[in-house]
Amino acid sequence: MASNEEGSIGTSLHGVTAREQVFSFSVDSSSQTLQSDDPTAKFALPVDSQHRAKVFKPLSFAKPHMRAFHLGWISFFTCFISTFAAAPLVPIIRDNLDLTKTDVGNAGVASVSGAIFSRLAMGAVCDLLGARYGTAFSLMLTAPTVFSMSFVTGPVGYLAVRFMIGFCLATFVSCQYWTSVMFNGKIIGLVNGCAGGWGDMGGGVTQLLMPMVFQVIRLAGTTPVMAWRIAFFIPGFLQVVVGVLVLTLGQDLPDGNLSTLQKSGQVSKDKFSKVFWFAVKNYRTWILFVLYGFSMGIELTINNVISGYFFDRFNLELQTAGIVAASFGMANFFARPFGGYASDLAARLFGMRGRLWILWIFQTVGALFCIWLGRASSLPIAILAMMLFSVGTQAACGALFGVAPFVSRRSLGLISGLTGAGGNFGSGLTQLLFFSTSRFSTADGLSLMGAMAVLCTVPVAFIHFPQWGSMFLRPSSDGERSKEEYYYSSEWTEEEKRQGLHEGSIKFAENSRSERSRKVALADFPTPETGTPTHV
Amino acid sequence: MAIHKIILASFIVYLMIQFSHGATKERLFSDLEKDALDVTAKPSRQGVLDAGIDKLSITWKLSSTAKKQANFTTIKVKLCYAPVSQVDRPWRKTENELFKDKTCPHKIITRAYNKSSQSFKYTLDRDIPTGTYFVRTYAVDAKDHEVAFGQSTNEAKTTNLFSVQAISGRHKSLDIASVCFSVFSVLALLVFFVNEKRKAKLEQRK
Repeated sequence: MASNEEGSIGTSLHGVTAREQVFSFSVDSSSQTLQSDDPTAKFALPVDSQHRAKVFKPLSFAKPHMRAFHLGWISFFTCFISTFAAAPLVPIIRDNLDLTKTDVGNAGVASVSGAIFSRLAMGAVCDLLGARYGTAFSLMLTAPTVFSMSFVTGPVGYLAVRFMIGFCLATFVSCQYWTSVMFNGKIIGLVNGCAGGWGDMGGGVTQLLMPMVFQVIRLAGTTPVMAWRIAFFIPGFLQVVVGVLVLTLGQDLPDGNLSTLQKSGQVSKDKFSKVFWFAVKNYRTWILFVLYGFSMGIELTINNVISGYFFDRFNLELQTAGIVAASFGMANFFARPFGGYASDLAARLFGMRGRLWILWIFQTVGALFCIWLGRASSLPIAILAMMLFSVGTQAACGALFGVAPFVSRRSLGLISGLTGAGGNFGSGLTQLLFFSTSRFSTADGLSLMGAMAVLCTVPVAFIHFPQWGSMFLRPSSDGERSKEEYYYSSEWTEEEKRQGLHEGSIKFAENSRSERSRKVALADFPTPETGTPTHV
Repeated sequence: MAIHKIILASFIVYLMIQFSHGATKERLFSDLEKDALDVTAKPSRQGVLDAGIDKLSITWKLSSTAKKQANFTTIKVKLCYAPVSQVDRPWRKTENELFKDKTCPHKIITRAYNKSSQSFKYTLDRDIPTGTYFVRTYAVDAKDHEVAFGQSTNEAKTTNLFSVQAISGRHKSLDIASVCFSVFSVLALLVFFVNEKRKAKLEQRK
């Protein structure tokens, strides 16, 4: 994680010397050093003291901020296409490779399991090499695995290839990392919600794209069993193209690329062991892990099973099943940003408690509609249930990342990575339990998965912040513990506090007063505008 | 509130239509006359047959025990999965309701009903998946409803089965293209990486 502190100029952080305004703006040989009074003139968007954009203009491609946003979500989108490319073609693949339901289910589990590890590793990779290379590594090193579908002849090969393709879902972390260094904290919720949601849409688009590509290739005269293999070249090719675009058009940080900036001493790092310990020690991390496992997790599972479900149960054509399945993933376009927005709105009125309630409501309602989807025996009812389910669950994903940034300041990156891994874990678990055996029909599996999700959403009631409260409890009345500063500075040891390493967390704590409910905020004194200048 | 009532009402009406529609769909396999036709299916050679290459000699004629032959208009000959190929594969499941039954998805031939013995030399389709099969003929009436059937195996579907090996779908040209694209992807990444490291070193030296 690069230093994201909204620090003022001159704050000594992490022992980095000479933190003066010396920036190299470009990577070409004519680098310049500019004074601090007019560094923002070079940017197309208004920026804060760390040159992160303060506004979000989705229709712009200005470098470096909006370009990073678009490259980030498109990379993530492409990886979703590749990971779930097999799902709509399973009716063809299962006959070609002589797969049983168990084989198909296990491959589905494998397709989401690889990312559990790659998402955890990606945080470190971004730290070391920058977000561009994190993304490009993910895209261009997994492209060969997508192409290798042409070699598969049986269930083992199929499972192995789907497992390896699944590693590319680590682009979720690199994408969120990239937007976090490019966009100011006040708008990061919306930016990440859009990037996450539009990337997740790939899981829906692939359900449309692959059957269409398959059909076109068949019309060119090949047999179905060869056509599906050729179809995989499309996502593979897309990955390579997007990878090259990321490397040529993108930039790691607002001020330039990481390799250049590291050499000039701009970027500093925290100790990984400390960051890891504070993330793991915080029980809220694990609750978020479970919660995301049953919002994003079941979304990933649905991406794998829903097309086959509509094909088999309602006897739809391959493309028609694909269209229906696609509408599940496509709802992400507005549903996930909507969830983030609703969370922000609830926070304005009720503070963090509002965010937690919104999260619980969306996730539970989504899961209830999932139960209904399994029970529906007619096509229109099934589609209706599926759409309502998709909006609820995807909004819950967005709402969860409205809560996550406040769980920790020091370990934010790692918590995002762990939460993301939780999503994949939940998907692997639900596929293993409900969709890999002939014990349950797919319809029953869907209902049972919905029921399990309702149960596993209950833990959100146990997320308690001493300074803001929880779903059912009020904030602590203790004078010391009810301050945001106490919570965020408790992640630093006394030794580190003496060195002043926790200053960034203090700044963050001051800004996070917005998470108090309106009543409390009004009763309290207003956010201090004096003191250390905060350029937020 | 009015809109809620309208939605609820149309939903209920829709449900009723569904239920009534369902009533006519329940034609059952168990209602069909068994063994109305004597069917044989002889593979062209021993061992596992290759899809797209090997042939089956299929013959069918009216059985001496048949009763409903007055209704027979057309004969539909189909290739069906044996139980061993249906294990853990719910998309090939045998169901009693005819419209749900997925045992016999592959059509071989359809012919008008003829009292005398019929035969057909069937070349296995290239699309036939790997599996174990038998042949079943459905006798269909003028309304396109199945009336009777006969099959080349016994009732438990254990005798006279034959195995088919499907085509793999792999091709050398695909393999080569796959390797080329993969190598390009990794190389491109390395080239960018090395290049940028070099540039950064030059920057530092300046």
